Amino acid sequence: MTDTFNLAWLVTVRHWKVYRKYFWSNILPTFVEPCFYIFSLGVGLGSFINEIDGLSYAAFMGPGLAISASMFTAFFESSYGFYVRLTMDGIYKALLTTPLGPREIILGELIWVSLKGALMGFAVAFVVVAFGFLPWSWNLLGILPVGFLVGAGCGSLGLISSALIKNISQFQTVYTVVISPLFFFSGIFFPVQKLPQALQIVSHISPLYHGVVLNQQLLWQRLDGALFLQHLGELVFLNGILIFVAYRLVYRKLYS
Amino acid sequence: METMIALQCSNVKKQFGTFAALKEVSLSVQQGECFGLLGPNGAGKSTLISMIYGSLSRTSGSIQVFNQDPQVQGRAVRAQLGVVTQENNLDSSMTVLENMQMFSRYVGVPKAERKKRITELLDFMLLSHKSSAVIESLSGGMKRRLVFVRALLHKPRLLILDEPTTGLDPAVRQLLWEKVAELKKSGVTIILTTHYMDEAERLCDRLVIMDEGTIRAHGTPRELILKNCLAYVAGVEKIEKTKLQNLAGITLIEDPHHLLLSANSLEALTNCFTEKQIKPIFIRPSNLEDVFLKITGREIADND
Repeated sequence: MTDTFNLAWLVTVRHWKVYRKYFWSNILPTFVEPCFYIFSLGVGLGSFINEIDGLSYAAFMGPGLAISASMFTAFFESSYGFYVRLTMDGIYKALLTTPLGPREIILGELIWVSLKGALMGFAVAFVVVAFGFLPWSWNLLGILPVGFLVGAGCGSLGLISSALIKNISQFQTVYTVVISPLFFFSGIFFPVQKLPQALQIVSHISPLYHGVVLNQQLLWQRLDGALFLQHLGELVFLNGILIFVAYRLVYRKLYS
Repeated sequence: METMIALQCSNVKKQFGTFAALKEVSLSVQQGECFGLLGPNGAGKSTLISMIYGSLSRTSGSIQVFNQDPQVQGRAVRAQLGVVTQENNLDSSMTVLENMQMFSRYVGVPKAERKKRITELLDFMLLSHKSSAVIESLSGGMKRRLVFVRALLHKPRLLILDEPTTGLDPAVRQLLWEKVAELKKSGVTIILTTHYMDEAERLCDRLVIMDEGTIRAHGTPRELILKNCLAYVAGVEKIEKTKLQNLAGITLIEDPHHLLLSANSLEALTNCFTEKQIKPIFIRPSNLEDVFLKITGREIADND
C-alpha cells in the first residue's frame, strides 16, 4: 500500500514539475476568470442588488466562485489534460513499462487534480478576501480541504468522460451538459432554495453544490455544525461513487 | 554453471473479441541470450511483449518472468525489465535530462546513483551533448537512443526491444546493434522483436518466426537457414523464366522482384548460368530473409 502511494505520488510530482514550468500562463486563466465574475457581476450587477441573505452580492458569490475554480481546474486537467497524456503523448504507455501500474497512475492523477483544486480554490478565495469583499478569518484555510474534495469529485467526472469519449472534441459536449449546469445550479449566484424542487434534487447530486455550501459557511463565518456535516457527508459519499466509477473505467483503458 | 530460465511462456492465448491475436504460444528464453520474435505485422509479437511486461492480460496459458507471473506480480516483474517501446513516447513537456531524472524515479534508481547513472548512459548512447535539449528538437535516431537510455536506467536483467530500429537510418541502426551486443556481453537477457531479418540474424542467438498468432518455426538463425533453405541463392531477371525449367539440384522461387534460384553449392549455380548464358543479378549465401519468405508463405511458387 505504501508502495502504491509512493509510486502514485511520482505521477503527481511529474505533473507538478510540468505545470511549474509555465506556472503563470497555467495558473492565470483558472484564477483570473472567477475574479472577472466577482468584479463584473459582484460589483456591477451587485449595485442593483441590495443584499442576499444579509450579504453584498460580491460577498455572496465569493465563496462559491472560489470553489468553482476548484471544479474547473480539476475537470480540465482530468479531461483534456489526461486524455492527451493517455492517447496522444503516450506518456502512460511508457509509464506502464515501469513498476507503476494502472492503479498508481489513476491514484496519482486524482491526487494531482485534487491538490490543484484545493490550491486554485484557495487562491480565488484569497483574492476575494484581499479585496475586502469578505472579512479575513482563519476559516479561509478551510477551503483547502473543501477544494481538495471538490477537485477529487469533479476530477473523477473528467476521468470518466476521458474514458468514455471517442474524440477529444466531445469534451465540449460534456462541458455543456454536465459542467455548465453544475456551475449555474449549485448555489453560487443565488440560493438553491429559489430553484424548483426538481432542480434542487439535481443540486444534491452535484459535488460542486456541497462544496459551495461548505465554503459559504466557512467564509461567511456562519458555521452550522449539523448542516456542515450533512453536506460534507454527502460530498464524501458522492466522491466515493464517482471515484469508484472513474477507477473502473480508466483502469480498463489502461489495462485490457 | 546451470542455465536459468529468464522467460517461460506456456500455451499463451489472447483473444480480442472474436479475433485470436495469439493462439497457444509456448517458448522459453535462457538467461543471457538474445531471443528474437520475428514475424510480419499482426503476427502477435507486440501482443506477447505487452503480456510479458504485464500491461495486457492473457486469455489463458501461463507466463513466468524470472519465476514471477507478470499478471499477478506486475510491479516486481517490471522492476527487473527494461522496455524499449515501439513508439518513442518520451515526455515532450520535459528536457532530455528531466525525462531521465523523472523516469529513474519511476523505476526506483536510488537518489544517490541517479545522476551518475544518467550521465553514464547518455554517454553510452552518445547523447551527452543533448542533455538540456527539449524532446522535439531531437532527431528520430536520437529519440530512439534516448528511449534506450530510459530502458537501461535501473540496470534491468531483461531488456525488451520492440522493433528497436524501425525507421532509422543505417548509421543509427549500426550503432544500436553495437550497443545491444555490448549489453548482451554484460549478461543482460534480451528479447527482440523485429521484421528486419538482417537485424535478427546479427543479434539473435535463437528466434521464433511467428505468423497469425502462432509460432511457425524456431531455432538458431543458422539452424533455420540450413533446415529451410539450400545454401546459396541467386537472383535473376524474371524474363529468364522460360530458360530455367526443370533444373537438377536447383529450386526456383519467385519474389516480387526476381526469380530466385537456390542450390546447395555455388558451382551448381555458376554452371547453370554459364550453360544457359544468363547473367545473374546477385549470388549470395541463403539468409533468414529466405527462411522468412518460405515460412510465412509470401510470394512462393514452386518450380513449375
